[in-house]
Amino acid sequence: MLRFVAARLLQSLIALAIVSVVVFVLARATGDPLYLILPMSASQEDFDNARRYLGLDRPYVEQYLSFVGRAITGDFGVSLRARRPVSELIRERLPNSLKLAAFAMGVSLAMAFPLGIMAAVKKGTGLDRAAQVVSVLGQSLPTFWVAILLVEFVAGRLQWLPAGGIAGFSSYVLPGFTLGWFVVAGLMRLLRSGMLEVLDSEYVKLARVKGVAERRVIWLHALRNALIPVVTFAGIYFAILVTTAIVVETVFAWPGIGRLAYEGISSRDFPVIQAVVLTTAAIVAVVNLCVDCLYAWIDPRIRYAR
Amino acid sequence: MKRATAMARVFLLVLALLGMVAVGTGWAQPKTELTVALSSFATEVLDPPLGGHLVKYYLSMMFDYLVGTTPDGQPSRDGGIATRWDNSPDFKRWTFHLRKGVKFHNGDELTSEDVKFSIMRNIGKRSTTGYAGPLRTLIQDIETPAPDRVVVVTKEPTLIIPLYLSRSLSTEGMITPKKYIESVGDDVFARKPIGSGPYKFVEQVTGSHITLTAGDNHWRIGTPKYKTMTFRLVPEETTRIALLRRGEVDVAELSRERVKDVEKDGFPIHYRREESILTMWWVLGPDGRVPPAKDKRVREALNLALDRAEIAQSIFGGKADPAAVPLGLSWSFKDVGFKQTPDMMYPYDLPRAKKLLADAGFASGFNLDVYAYQLPGLPEGKTMAEAVAGYWEKLGIKSRLIPVDYPAFRKAWFDRSAPGAVGYFNIANRDWIGAYALLEKQAYSASKPSDTVNDPEIDGMLSQVMRQTDREKINALMRNVYTRLRSEHLGVPVVYLHSPYATSKTLAKWNVGSVMYDLFFDQLASGK
Repeated sequence: MLRFVAARLLQSLIALAIVSVVVFVLARATGDPLYLILPMSASQEDFDNARRYLGLDRPYVEQYLSFVGRAITGDFGVSLRARRPVSELIRERLPNSLKLAAFAMGVSLAMAFPLGIMAAVKKGTGLDRAAQVVSVLGQSLPTFWVAILLVEFVAGRLQWLPAGGIAGFSSYVLPGFTLGWFVVAGLMRLLRSGMLEVLDSEYVKLARVKGVAERRVIWLHALRNALIPVVTFAGIYFAILVTTAIVVETVFAWPGIGRLAYEGISSRDFPVIQAVVLTTAAIVAVVNLCVDCLYAWIDPRIRYAR
Repeated sequence: MKRATAMARVFLLVLALLGMVAVGTGWAQPKTELTVALSSFATEVLDPPLGGHLVKYYLSMMFDYLVGTTPDGQPSRDGGIATRWDNSPDFKRWTFHLRKGVKFHNGDELTSEDVKFSIMRNIGKRSTTGYAGPLRTLIQDIETPAPDRVVVVTKEPTLIIPLYLSRSLSTEGMITPKKYIESVGDDVFARKPIGSGPYKFVEQVTGSHITLTAGDNHWRIGTPKYKTMTFRLVPEETTRIALLRRGEVDVAELSRERVKDVEKDGFPIHYRREESILTMWWVLGPDGRVPPAKDKRVREALNLALDRAEIAQSIFGGKADPAAVPLGLSWSFKDVGFKQTPDMMYPYDLPRAKKLLADAGFASGFNLDVYAYQLPGLPEGKTMAEAVAGYWEKLGIKSRLIPVDYPAFRKAWFDRSAPGAVGYFNIANRDWIGAYALLEKQAYSASKPSDTVNDPEIDGMLSQVMRQTDREKINALMRNVYTRLRSEHLGVPVVYLHSPYATSKTLAKWNVGSVMYDLFFDQLASGK
């Protein structure tokens, strides 16, 4: 098991190194941030001064080595736009994204479990079809559209819930639902197909023949064995929710890491872009590592096969 | 026992009803917080030399300027640290007499040393404000003969010093505390700024909000009406409107498109009329203007081919007016006595435009690159570029739209790597000194690479403005610059844009003012 974890860890580090090169090159390929930072009236002297002050006048290789050297110690440099240490910005924003993603995952699990199990148990009925429609809508309706509709009607017109910002539990509901609904379809389908497979297996049939109550068969015997792919999916999606909620965070004025990424990209703030991408990659790598370990722990054949 | 329970129920019911009525009829305490929802905080830097112009929206409540302005942008002896200022006969020494008893938020007294320190810091090499460069070139020394007197010594005779250090321009004139900055350093100051304005800094959560709290009394606004002032960053307009409807914000930046919806619900709309001019220009080549726009007839034809009234109505929902003068910053017109007469307005005259093009030897048209991009405060940017390209197509010009982001265009413009191509900007309107500062960058050959005009006559006039000490002569020069920009068609003015701001129904009277990048919240917060 230890060898398995070490191999996975090494793979993750290689992936992060590659990501650092790619993001460094691509961030600079988008153009010069000074054309955004400096006002139109700035002179050539102002450009030269700013470039020197921000360290953008150094050769690329030197900039990259300095970036990597500092990133290893958790120092991502200073934001060109906000003029504050990027690690400080990430420390401020990441918890907000984690909390929102956790809430959204809770919403999606709360919706996907009853829908998925009901759809499997009542396969082919109207209930099955209705559950599929609900889940598919969540994935097919554009997130920005759902978010704007909720803000306009639920928050603005009906005034039931806050429209934006972080202010207590109620402010999580609309952004959390918007994000969570998107994940429901995948979770529900996995759960449904897993349950169908398990419900058709010999040991479930045996349990039924032995007179075990149907509720116990479904919730204890079947569900437990149908959960493995769901756990994997939920783990990966949690990482995705943390790191890609740009639209939802923008619409709901949520100061998370997705918004930070958007602000960084739109102002060509290299240090912020690099830090957000690396942090995101690290989160995905850690979650994948955890899921792999969980898999290997649940099913030892996996660890021996690799 | 039963009776007691029943009485308790009735009591509770009455209490609940009273509570509902109190909420419904506004029995609540007067509002102690003013919340402003903006679509962008720009850099979010709270240190005057590092933020650029746009931070003025919130910094001007925290800091005082050396020279104050009235809401309509005129220098004011009541609104700044300087209560009066005078100049030496040779216009090279400007003495500012400082208001006595002004204190920073940490209790330190504001003196001439702070003023000197602030100006030097604001125009230093690290500064990213727009006008640090010209001031650096112009200022020779700053003397502090007394704690309440500052003398700015310039290398050349000039009239512009008080205006460049006023609230009407950027942040160069904001006064910061010398002792505090020297003791804590620049980084700490940027996170915990201290000024001398009516509101002091409480908290900044980047990407979310900035909270300020009022002092007891301030010479600018008296006893502040609101205990706290919060600026919330809400990029999505639907959310800003929802927050306004829910009473969570009092002032919300609005797009022209949504005005009707919000107005229908009874929310007052305040306009900054002609807040910006949407103007287009041709990118110069390494040696200046390039054909075909080098020919005056072509430039006029391109102007005549636009139906500005239709653009104002259909793209900007009627919240815009046709513009006639390239780079014509209309808030400065009255300062310099320039009159935009009806005959200056470009008619929509396609036949004449076609004739002019034919006379210039381009009867069958030519290829023209039109850069198309969105800009802050201009969501209609790309649509407008497409419409303009469409009008020019009718003239026989093969317009090629180049979708980019603004910095990409700005680079092409500054590098002169796309000579003859067309770009645009919604230039914030400003008073005469702001207009001069803008023209000095965008219509003055010596200001390479930002020049868009390349006209020796205008160069000559602008070079005199800075050195001129007779205000009447300055006005005449500025009028002549505008006249020539129009008569030579040195750009394509499209429309003046009116910017709407919605406020809650209970908010007091508010003059949004006409100061560049400043919504003049003084009046709203004033207890005077």
